[in-house]
Amino acid sequence: MRLTRRDRLVLFAPLAILLGGWLVIPALVGLGATLTTYSPLTTAVAFAGWRNYTDVLHDPQFSEAVRNVAIFTLVAVPLELGLGFGIAYLLRRPFRGRSWWRGLLLLPWLVSPIASGVMWHYLFGGATGILNFILGWLGQPEVASPIGDVSLALAATIAIEVWRVAPFVTFLLLPGLVAIPQERWEQATLAGASWFQRIAKVALPEVAPLMLTVGMLLTGLSLGAFDTILILTGGGPGTATLTPALYSYDRAFVTNDWPSGAASAWLIAAGVAAVGAAYVRISARWSP
Amino acid sequence: MRAARIIAIAAVTGAFLLPLAWTGLAAVGVLPDDSTRPPSWTGPPTLDHIAEIGVAEPTFWQELATSTLAAILAACLAVAAALPAAFALARSRFRGGRTATQGFLVLASLPVMAYVIPLADLSGRVHLIDTFAGITLAEAAVTAPLAVFVLHGAVAQLPPDWEEAAVIDGAGLLRILGGIVVPLIAPSVAATLVVMFVLDWNMLLVPLVLTSGEVKTVPVALSDFFTFERELDWPTAAAALMVSLAPLAVLVGVFHRVLESFALQAPGSRDIG
Repeated sequence: MRLTRRDRLVLFAPLAILLGGWLVIPALVGLGATLTTYSPLTTAVAFAGWRNYTDVLHDPQFSEAVRNVAIFTLVAVPLELGLGFGIAYLLRRPFRGRSWWRGLLLLPWLVSPIASGVMWHYLFGGATGILNFILGWLGQPEVASPIGDVSLALAATIAIEVWRVAPFVTFLLLPGLVAIPQERWEQATLAGASWFQRIAKVALPEVAPLMLTVGMLLTGLSLGAFDTILILTGGGPGTATLTPALYSYDRAFVTNDWPSGAASAWLIAAGVAAVGAAYVRISARWSP
Repeated sequence: MRAARIIAIAAVTGAFLLPLAWTGLAAVGVLPDDSTRPPSWTGPPTLDHIAEIGVAEPTFWQELATSTLAAILAACLAVAAALPAAFALARSRFRGGRTATQGFLVLASLPVMAYVIPLADLSGRVHLIDTFAGITLAEAAVTAPLAVFVLHGAVAQLPPDWEEAAVIDGAGLLRILGGIVVPLIAPSVAATLVVMFVLDWNMLLVPLVLTSGEVKTVPVALSDFFTFERELDWPTAAAALMVSLAPLAVLVGVFHRVLESFALQAPGSRDIG
């Protein structure tokens, strides 16, 4: 139907109020505040220019956090997409009870990031854990929890995130795979395509736009990695699992350095905006 | 071939659910005993640990109620705000319309941390800290962009013929939206509500910074326990984890068919946004 300008105004108003009041205005006010010496606890406010940002960028802790989150994102997102796709591929053909399996497989994603942190704290732990139980069965000596080990902590947080998110990726990719017409598979099989070729020539081209969209979501959420790590390691040991989001939180709410906290948070937003711009460009090239 | 696939699916599902099964066993008091060779389990199963949650955290059941109510309201609010906007986006042909839709996906990917610091400050200034309304509205705003993106896909798939017919009959905007569009995409709306509920239920940062402890959700209570070094017993923690997971598991179990309608992109379409 044809919408008039007034129709559009009415239709967009509720969303504009909700997002304006609870997202856009706080974000912009925050941006303005980071260019000053503003902090909720002080009364004297002076213009500071980019100083809050340069302070954060010169802080070695923040550099560590950026390095960690870059590794986290570059390893976790492809693993989540790959595993999620693989499981969705197994589920693509209908069979009895498929939608039950699909629901069961979604369970890890239903565990909140924070509950997942609590859970894995114990699962990796000594007397309560699953790791030492399995090692015990194999006749191996017990090992210390990887989350306390500087060289293993980041890998452990990545593994936990992949465990929680890959099932969600399956959930998101499955509708795309199911929608591929049966003839496409049959043609490929008749042409003598191996299972690998069927994935590369039939499945991937069809779900590529969907995977791009899911990849955008996952990348943004990885760049803000926070909840699980807060509980599991608090960013440690040392700065081994510190992320920019943990850094911002710590500055704003723990050490009461509000300007650094808000400025570093805006740097996360800038990172996501850059990824978002790339996403819009790539998708424009794929479906003109 | 078929049997091999079913076995593979069962194996993968088993591997992913093993950590949860371990936690479930601990919640009923079946714990590993590493002192024997090979390791064994202690038993027998008991429900005592579920009662212990209330001892360790006397307000746990109240927090569970707060979480439930806030998540229900926030999910409804997000969908109610997103649906008209998604409809408007899908039915207007303006330059940059697709970029606008994709912009909502980028907004949905934006970590809450990016804006929650000033949000906490502003909420404090307008006295929305420690209020149920403040937390609910903020949670709705976090999830609304994803709802716009998903519902836009659902509306865009609908042929506009039904609406055209209603316009000729003289139906107004609200009648068309509520009487025609919503019933036609009801499965997508329901699936979106369920996913929003899950996201809201599990949200930590927003309810954490918008409360000083008066109005707490379950994730905030969990984080309190562990950031203040008050370590819980594993069976009690496991019981609390299972109890807070149960409502979501039941919800997904009940709506597992409806959830098949949750699509980020209209199935079969190769367009993005």
